[in-house]
Amino acid sequence: MNDRKRPGGLTALAVINFVLAGLGVISVLGLVAFFALVGEIPTEGMDETQRAQIEAMENLGTPMLVALVVLTGVTTILLLASGVGYLKMRRFLGRTLGNVYGLTAIASSVVTGTMFPRELGGGFGLGALIGLIYPLLTLILINTTFKEDLVD
Amino acid sequence: MSLRTISGRHVRLITVHWARSAVRSGAGLVFLVVALLFGLVAAQVILEPIELTMAKEAREGRDTSREDIVASVVEFGKPVIRWALGLESAGDAAPPDEADQAAAAGAAPDVEQAGPPQTAAPADPWAAFLLDERPALLSAIFLVQIFGMPLLVPFLAFNQISGDVQSRGLRYVLLRTERANIFLGRFLGTAVFSTLVVVFIVVTVTFYLGVRIKIYPAGSLAVWGLHGLAALVVLLLPYIAVCSWISTVVDSPFLSLVVANLVIGGLLLFAVIAGTLWEPAIYLKYALPWGLQNHLLHPELSHSVGTALACLGYTAAFLFLGYRRFETRDL
Repeated sequence: MNDRKRPGGLTALAVINFVLAGLGVISVLGLVAFFALVGEIPTEGMDETQRAQIEAMENLGTPMLVALVVLTGVTTILLLASGVGYLKMRRFLGRTLGNVYGLTAIASSVVTGTMFPRELGGGFGLGALIGLIYPLLTLILINTTFKEDLVD
Repeated sequence: MSLRTISGRHVRLITVHWARSAVRSGAGLVFLVVALLFGLVAAQVILEPIELTMAKEAREGRDTSREDIVASVVEFGKPVIRWALGLESAGDAAPPDEADQAAAAGAAPDVEQAGPPQTAAPADPWAAFLLDERPALLSAIFLVQIFGMPLLVPFLAFNQISGDVQSRGLRYVLLRTERANIFLGRFLGTAVFSTLVVVFIVVTVTFYLGVRIKIYPAGSLAVWGLHGLAALVVLLLPYIAVCSWISTVVDSPFLSLVVANLVIGGLLLFAVIAGTLWEPAIYLKYALPWGLQNHLLHPELSHSVGTALACLGYTAAFLFLGYRRFETRDL
């Protein structure tokens, strides 16, 4: 029986993972809906910024949209699984998948930054840095602060 | 109750341990994530319109001068400054006092110019200082941070004492050291952790402004960045001290968090709302540094230093109240 006491930070990390996974699910659904409606979205009444974003999404092309959906889906699943791993304090489910999530999210940010137009968050601005905060924090914490807790 | 029980070595040990284990506890991690997100998202909201404008003009092949960009930045920053300083419009003259009149007369020849003089400078000398004499974007970001960061402090500092009191674990620590060392050490550990977070945010934003936006000289960014950093670090101390006091009074960590949020955020809200019904009620906000914290970015350095000293005074007062409670209560 595992009678180790789980640190509060690990619980908090798991909760944040679940919240971000929920947002990821919503993002995936939104992207799939956009994918289905591409070219048919009415832009009257939208301001210039929103219109530019819709146009940029439509010009992205099918392969990029599919890649975006897949990347978002994969990081969502990794967030969910690693969150469960943090709660159960498991080595593979928590630490390994947490590392995979961190590296995948960072790679995703790099891809978004290089291949997406500015209107969709492309470029290496402050927005990209914000997107890197949590993956970097995860990598640092599960390999240092919580390293001894995520063992079978 | 005696301050002679304070041991520098014990306080240092507890401070270091508390700061290092802050992230291990849920409170520190939540504060870290929320503070980083708040700090950087607030900066992004202010910087993004400028970046989009610059990118659009670059794409259209228009060569906009730095002066034009700074002028548009000042126009963009005016509403933020107006809101933060409580002016009706950036052109409003606040009731001038000696300090403001001296600043308006340009009595500070060593103030570094962050950009070219503006033809339509706001009448209020404080707003003019923040928009014209200092990097306007950084001023706007700092004013937002000064307003928002105190509201996040309870998430870090609510559980300095209450958790260990509730679990009866404190009595085991008291076998090795005195109450004063625990109280002071944990306060300092919390302050150190919050300082590190603030340093990261300010350095990131200032560095980004210098490297990506490139409309302000590095020197003026560095000077104003340091001033803002010092202001934020000093500002958080009284709020951490209030949480320390509350933590000694309330035994439950969750209740301590609720009470801390109510006291810090609720006091400001109550003062503003009550002030609309009975004008003197607005002065309730001076029970915490809400009423004077913007003065940390005042044009007159002596005024800023005085405000910083006032913040330290608040800190000392709340620490005294908390220490007195902790020293005499039954654990």
